[in-house]
Amino acid sequence: MFSNTVIYSILAAIITILVCFIISTLLPGIERKYIHARIQQRIGPIVIAPGIMAPIKFMFKENVKVESPVPGLYKVLPIICFIVVMCLLIALTPQAFAIPALSSLVAIVGLLKVEEICYVLMGALSKSVMSVRMPFPDQIKGAVHNNATRSFIEDISSRRSLRMITYGSFPLYLALFAPVTQARSIFLEEIVAYQQVHGPFLFTVSGAIAAIVFFIGYMIILNEYPFSIIKAKCDVIEGPYMEYASKYRTIVYLTRGFFMMVLGALFSVLFLGIPPLITSWSILIVVLVSLVLVFMMGILSAFSPVFTNRQLLPTILGTTLLGILSIVLGLL
Amino acid sequence: MDEKVPRSNIIETEIPMGTVHPAALEPYRVRFFVEDEIVQEAEITIGVNHRGIERIMEGLPVEKANSLTEKICGICSNSHIWNSCRTAEIGLGIEIPERANYIRVIMGELERLHSHFLYLAHGCEVLSHETFSMRVFYLREIVMELLAMIGGNRVQYGCSVLGGVRPRCDLDEAKLLRLKEDMDKLEEGLTGFVERFINDSIVMSRITGIGVLPQKQAIELAVTGPTLRATGVARDLRTTMFEYDDFDFNVITQPDGDVKSNLVMRALESFESIKIIRQAIANIPEGKIVNRDWEMFDTDIIESYIEVPRGTLYHSYALESGRVRHCIIRTPSMANIGAMQYACIGDQITDAQLCIVQCDPCFTCTDRAIEIIRR
Repeated sequence: MFSNTVIYSILAAIITILVCFIISTLLPGIERKYIHARIQQRIGPIVIAPGIMAPIKFMFKENVKVESPVPGLYKVLPIICFIVVMCLLIALTPQAFAIPALSSLVAIVGLLKVEEICYVLMGALSKSVMSVRMPFPDQIKGAVHNNATRSFIEDISSRRSLRMITYGSFPLYLALFAPVTQARSIFLEEIVAYQQVHGPFLFTVSGAIAAIVFFIGYMIILNEYPFSIIKAKCDVIEGPYMEYASKYRTIVYLTRGFFMMVLGALFSVLFLGIPPLITSWSILIVVLVSLVLVFMMGILSAFSPVFTNRQLLPTILGTTLLGILSIVLGLL
Repeated sequence: MDEKVPRSNIIETEIPMGTVHPAALEPYRVRFFVEDEIVQEAEITIGVNHRGIERIMEGLPVEKANSLTEKICGICSNSHIWNSCRTAEIGLGIEIPERANYIRVIMGELERLHSHFLYLAHGCEVLSHETFSMRVFYLREIVMELLAMIGGNRVQYGCSVLGGVRPRCDLDEAKLLRLKEDMDKLEEGLTGFVERFINDSIVMSRITGIGVLPQKQAIELAVTGPTLRATGVARDLRTTMFEYDDFDFNVITQPDGDVKSNLVMRALESFESIKIIRQAIANIPEGKIVNRDWEMFDTDIIESYIEVPRGTLYHSYALESGRVRHCIIRTPSMANIGAMQYACIGDQITDAQLCIVQCDPCFTCTDRAIEIIRR
């Protein structure tokens, strides 16, 4: 009987991951086709192009030699990111509630931090041709400051990622802990159980504020405009992902879509009390929440320029204060 | 606005960008010297796209050389052929029919519109505001179609010839009517865009006070064109060009010399261009469009300056047996490189490319001055 339950749980978790992964491949396309392209009055790509066709295309491209001081680690980082996102989803499934160490907010925060640290490492390890290595004689006679230390543009990206770890993603973590003030527990099972009895946390004042904070944090952690300082086209270009080609770029693309889906599921668990349960129709609500978040993100990013530190700092400060307010309201 | 001084003593790192970079439309190398992501000094290097057009022009018949100048730039191709023809016309004393002058002015102003719209769209793109960028590109499309209607092409129109304009560029009633209608459409679209743009507080926070070029510094660096006018100096060569004698327009200036001033100034200048085109449509005289009654003779060095979308364009050459000698062409971006380097100082590296873009660089057409040092 016990072994049957374990097998059933493992199967359910695998199917949940598969279903969520398949749906997640459509999210980048939906964002680009139905939001960005519609707002910008253009046709846009085929909806499956960014999330499915592009990864398949890259899968069969010839790989280039990665320019990195530690190429092995650099190449393994997108795989780690993908595994982290998958672990996040597993932690959110009701089947994982039996493992308290995994299905607690501490584990969720830890996994998200691993994701962020990967960006720092990717930036630090990428040495693309786009800056110092470009074979162009610029340190010629008459050029100024020929003795200054030369830095790759990805190094800036790495430093910015570090900055995002220290304060940039703070609002997201505050929003994650806001439901704890009501449920009085850091375990997802109890947060879900509390909401099933008392109604969704989203429909309280504290929950509504925390949802706004979560949304800002969601955009920050997904590096979406206007918060995409670690991969801003105007200076660091692709930032940490610059040297990824072929299969590695496929994984980068797939991870992004999957991460969108998983963050949607996280919102659904924490603010609506609905975990991604494959045997229940409630999985549709999880999908719907993911879609709503993608739509909102698409609209905001289409109407915003990229922020510099001047705009980012006050925005994060303001959002952090909102997060604190939601926690205080939740405690009252 | 105080003078910005490069603080070379605190330079921490050098971050080179280019010659290939998505924020740059053209190939150039820029070395940013930074301290905690704040640019302390910048150095721009060009030379990647040198094509030696002046050298090729040497010895060519003047008509062929004129056509070749059009290939200098993909954005202001009409300005180059106009000024090149103008140079020979000044030297040979060729009188241009009034109607041809009007058509040249219409083409010149349409080109200014498409150049300014490209500038606005590129500026928005470097800001990473793709929606605004796309909206300006749609407006620009109206102008591009008009240019294609008159010149037969979207880039190389071949409008000016010695003594006037090419017959295919003559404007009949139908073309004038379409021009008039499209000017209304353009004005409406541009008004809508400008209103949305200047009322967008996020965009304004990104561009206000960024890339400031003080007026004193702009004059010292011999900055030209809209970049100079954005610092408050009302200097526009069109006010002295005989081609514009019949037209009433204002020289637009902005006070601050920052990215906002530059973007807003070009948007407002576009309204003046629409005004000039409307006047030209309303008052275009009848008559011939080309004067073929002239004779070739040898001349000394002839010089011609005109106001093009990016500033003052200089063409000079001498004529010898109908062929071009000692050709020199200087484009406005050559004068503005100093401003681009200066504008970056004190701003974040995320804004640095924007500070360069605000000076409307066109390095491909600038890339012709080359100094060979023989050792």
